[in-house]
Amino acid sequence: MLDGIVRFGHAVMMFMNPGNLFDVLWSTQLGIIVGMLPGLTATMGVALMTTLTYKMAPGNAVLILMCMYIGAIYGGSRSAILLNIPGTPANAATCLDGHPLAKQGKAGEAIGLATTGSFLGSLFGMIMLAFFTPLIGNIALNFKSFEFFWLCVFGIVICGNLTAPKDPLKGWIAGFFGLFVAMIGMEGMHAYARFSFGNVQLSGGIALIPAMVGVFGFSETLMIMKQPKFVLIDSKIERVIPRLSDIIKYKRTILRSGVIGTIIGAIPGVGEDIAAWVSYDFARRASKERDLFGRGSKEGLLAAETGNNACVPGAMIPVLSLAVPGSAPAAVLLAAMFIHGVRPGPLIMIEFPDFIYQVVAMTLLATCAMFVLGLSMVRALVKVLTIPREKMMPFVFVLCAIGSYAIQSRMFDVYVMIVFGIIGYYMRAMEYPVAPTVLGIILGDLLDKNLRRALVLTDGEMIPFFTRPISLILILFIVLTIVGRTNLFKKVMSAMMGKINKIFRRGSYQESIT
Amino acid sequence: MQQKNMPKADFVTSIVLLLFALAILIMSIQMPRYEGLGVNPYSVPGIVPGLLGVILLILSLVLLIRSIIRKGYQLGLNIEIVKQYFTDPSTRNFLFTLILSLVYGVLLLTRIPYLLATALYILFFILIFEYRPKENMSSQKKTILYSLVEAISVSAGITLIFRYLFLVDLP
Repeated sequence: MLDGIVRFGHAVMMFMNPGNLFDVLWSTQLGIIVGMLPGLTATMGVALMTTLTYKMAPGNAVLILMCMYIGAIYGGSRSAILLNIPGTPANAATCLDGHPLAKQGKAGEAIGLATTGSFLGSLFGMIMLAFFTPLIGNIALNFKSFEFFWLCVFGIVICGNLTAPKDPLKGWIAGFFGLFVAMIGMEGMHAYARFSFGNVQLSGGIALIPAMVGVFGFSETLMIMKQPKFVLIDSKIERVIPRLSDIIKYKRTILRSGVIGTIIGAIPGVGEDIAAWVSYDFARRASKERDLFGRGSKEGLLAAETGNNACVPGAMIPVLSLAVPGSAPAAVLLAAMFIHGVRPGPLIMIEFPDFIYQVVAMTLLATCAMFVLGLSMVRALVKVLTIPREKMMPFVFVLCAIGSYAIQSRMFDVYVMIVFGIIGYYMRAMEYPVAPTVLGIILGDLLDKNLRRALVLTDGEMIPFFTRPISLILILFIVLTIVGRTNLFKKVMSAMMGKINKIFRRGSYQESIT
Repeated sequence: MQQKNMPKADFVTSIVLLLFALAILIMSIQMPRYEGLGVNPYSVPGIVPGLLGVILLILSLVLLIRSIIRKGYQLGLNIEIVKQYFTDPSTRNFLFTLILSLVYGVLLLTRIPYLLATALYILFFILIFEYRPKENMSSQKKTILYSLVEAISVSAGITLIFRYLFLVDLP
């Protein structure tokens, strides 16, 4: 514990120089602008920034990416409040109460509350990141091939389940499709080029960054151009600094949303959008002002914004301890870390023990920068929202193309970006979530190696897959996730809950004995 | 997509997915097993893709059955619906964006210098979406000027940054 605090202190001091602080400020501000603009998501911002920072020193590059990530998730609240369009998917729940507040002439207050909620959520997540990453890292040191295999399956199943709440089947299809994409190219055991059809470029596999830029960048461009134009509401922005009484009044909601956001962030592939919705839903259920939700509730706004920003550090927990991304932008960060020679995963505490605390320090700096920048220049930044999409989207696509090309200087990656952009567009149109596909592309190699390694170890025997304690816990979660979505299970559960409620209903015991 | 059309879309998608999963499965079975080299049969390249093919096959079968139950097979396609789809402004916007981006990404980037290709793409993109042919030219001077300025500044800026700052050999 003490060792961790010392390392964290060292990490903060390391970044306390004018060069790094300047990087923090501009990248967080750029993140806020990227988040604000509908059509530019956090994932896309982090992916494009990865291509712009890949020649920098690892510490600087990851610092800029973290600032971009935190800034963008927060920045999306601005357009959610003023336009009723979430700047990033993470801010969809913010629209519900943020926009009604703006309509009531309280746009400034809503922006201030969203900033404070994001700040507190991010700080809470940061503490959890510092505390749990080494802990999970130590547990992960005991992971063998069996556990890694089940972890991959667990990631895909739960990510598919949570990112497609209406239809988990589509989430699972998307996830297993992603795993298949990862199979393309040369495999690690016998150097056989799978699904390459003799193409040299394909035998090198599908690189993650171009695929992600396509799925989150190009497909978003197509989606945005298809939608009708949006209108900026004419709302005066007065007081931005939030009232302390509001923060104290909703302290429970903030804390609850912080916990929910961090836990959801730590679940593989399940990102800020789900964290915000779940936080919002829990806040609504527990609220004394339930009627106000959806009509300009400050509590609802705080819950959504605290939840989505707490998710950011939460998503970094599995990135650092297991090399499994907690969200889509975290997946890009994971890829960026590999590009810069940092290898997250169970061995991180042995190979790069200071890196975890450096990421915690980066989160702290980005969070503080977000808070300060979020409460200043509000009126000036609103002008950014008036840039028409016809002028913004060609610029975005040019960045997608050059960003995909720059990493390996080959046109093949531009084609990959375009193909995945089109696939991503149709997936969205047909309500298939894209996050499980991205998670699948990342986990595919891990699943492939560990399943085959485990089968070789046991000589085809399946029993060891089911008898180890951590494997058993993961299997239990997988089964519960799948069975939990069947109609039969839902019927049985509601019947059981009905009976339990009846037993505990006030006075029912006396009734039964009289 | 409208919710009432979703079973129809699912029906078509599930058939495509079924064929796709079958192709994965067949190709996985055909992958080498290196029996002559004494390789452990559980480490062969086709084992994991084969398993994924089976899982995708099962999932797409479930999707197919579900779409049939919801009467997704009644596609009800006729010329009117297709015509309506293509004349819809949102479809037109989507198709214009897709075609312009494909022309830029697949054709222009490999054939003409990066600076020129990018400037042309941005210029045409803005003009196609913002220029109103029915209105007179003088009222649209601002649009044309803006598209020219953005095309030149963005393409020159990106070229300079990537070529001289990041030392990337541009396409």
